[in-house]
Amino acid sequence: MHDIVLECRGVSHWFGDKKVLFDINLRVARGQIAALVGPSGCGKTTLFRAILGTHPPRAGEVFINGAPVTTATRDCGIVYQKYSLFPFLTAEENVAFGLMLDGTSPQFRLFQFWKWRPLRKAHIEQAAALLKKLGLGHAVKLYPSEMSGGMCQRVAIAQALIMKPQILLLDEPFGALDESTREDLQNMILELYRENLQAKKEGRKPPYTIVVVTHELNEAIYVGDRVAGLSQYWNWEAAGQPEHPGSTIIYDAVAPVFEPHQERDDSVIRDQRRELRRVVFDPNYRPRRDEFVRFWRECESGLGTGVMAT
Amino acid sequence: MIRKPISHRWKVGLGVAAFVLLAAGYTVLSYRQHVRNPDDTLIPTWSQLADGLVRITTPNERSQEVWLWDDARATLGRLATGLLLGVGLGIPLGLLMGCYRKVGAFFQPVLAFLAKVPPSAMLAVFFVMVGTGFEMYVTMMVFGVLPSLAHAVYHAASEDVPDELIHKALTLGADQFEVAYNVIYKHILPRTLDAIRHQIGPAMVYLLAAEMLVGSVGLGYRMRLQARLMDMSTVYLYVVFLGLVGLLLDYSLIWTRRRLCPWFEKE
Repeated sequence: MHDIVLECRGVSHWFGDKKVLFDINLRVARGQIAALVGPSGCGKTTLFRAILGTHPPRAGEVFINGAPVTTATRDCGIVYQKYSLFPFLTAEENVAFGLMLDGTSPQFRLFQFWKWRPLRKAHIEQAAALLKKLGLGHAVKLYPSEMSGGMCQRVAIAQALIMKPQILLLDEPFGALDESTREDLQNMILELYRENLQAKKEGRKPPYTIVVVTHELNEAIYVGDRVAGLSQYWNWEAAGQPEHPGSTIIYDAVAPVFEPHQERDDSVIRDQRRELRRVVFDPNYRPRRDEFVRFWRECESGLGTGVMAT
Repeated sequence: MIRKPISHRWKVGLGVAAFVLLAAGYTVLSYRQHVRNPDDTLIPTWSQLADGLVRITTPNERSQEVWLWDDARATLGRLATGLLLGVGLGIPLGLLMGCYRKVGAFFQPVLAFLAKVPPSAMLAVFFVMVGTGFEMYVTMMVFGVLPSLAHAVYHAASEDVPDELIHKALTLGADQFEVAYNVIYKHILPRTLDAIRHQIGPAMVYLLAAEMLVGSVGLGYRMRLQARLMDMSTVYLYVVFLGLVGLLLDYSLIWTRRRLCPWFEKE
């Protein structure tokens, strides 16, 4: 029995006559890093917003740790591609921001400032220590406008992780970065996954559960233990729908797990990439809905990788 | 060459040169006027201006008043009160409008309308409503400043802060007040300070116009009175004083912005 952190149950969404999402069912277990891919306009952002709680779905429900999601809460962290940091805070202040917001109230900060000041100092020290661990010790006092895109994304991930959210959503986090920086950050995610594996080995709860949206197929296969594909190109007639009901999950499969900094062997991911391109992105290839949704079957057959390995 | 950068020395030198040229032009004009009429007071000589400076900064023989001090105290007191009230009410109102769509929808049309009504045109209303004393000046400035400032803050609060930052703050545990203050207000603070800066000029215009019409003390009142007596040395010195006050307020707000929002300067 898996410890399910995120569950989308029958999630559908539409804007007026425009159908966007149709009956999304997705379960993500604790410690997994799942990648979500899909063609432009397939509704990835809409699904993310539903999971985040800022835009609840029109039908169906999202659960985090079994509790229904109705608004954005500290249980679910987010890192965006753009606007990933608060521009008016330095790197360490950005990372300490959540500690302040979550741990203290405005009344406490105003009326008990003699208690707030040492606590603030402790928050900043904690944030600086985390940034140092992520290789940003030299940048703690810099504002986002003074940092490169890669540094900003690293700080943004630290900002989310320091809150220890139940699940972390990464919305195309490395999309605007150059190849080398992108690889560095992918390795950073794999380091987190290694911590998950270590925790599982020691019988602890894996600390990081992450869903990454990306448009880069190699990245999708490389950073996680699972790839899910959301697409509008599927055989909805065979599902008995009178008209196109919107995008749904038409691909869900185990992905190989890599070590951080491991030499990237293209042959390992080539077949899956080809399959994804055909099934999820090709408008002319319209699979039946469940044809390639096999992740949980694979896990039950002992084919799961990483934290899902039996 | 278009947009070719210049050194700091050139920048300062050219700025000073413009003032020197202005003073030289004035000297030539004044000299020519005094060749025609040695007793002219319309374009006073530098020595007449120096006499005027002594006159406005030392106690008057009859009333023992120090004109510049008394007038500046009255005008700047009215300006400070009007601006503080206008800003103190305009910023929270604009912020509330920007944060809550219903508050925005309620106030936005009426504020847009009020912002287009010239405050000087409202003088007649204010005479009747609050008389011609201190309250009238303050009311007029609040009327002039508040709608425009609230409008500027409203637009900044509703358009300049990306939704992503608000969503992110919620995932970090922020409540509604913290989103409004720690995210939206902090994000738009530089633009708000700029909006206040841009309100100082119009506020002074409304105030001086009112003082010229109904004042019994104040910079506007004195300028109008002395202009009628052809005592232009006093008027020009008051003009220079007003310019200096405007510059001082402007630079103090720029300094405040640099102190409070160092990130904005670096962007």
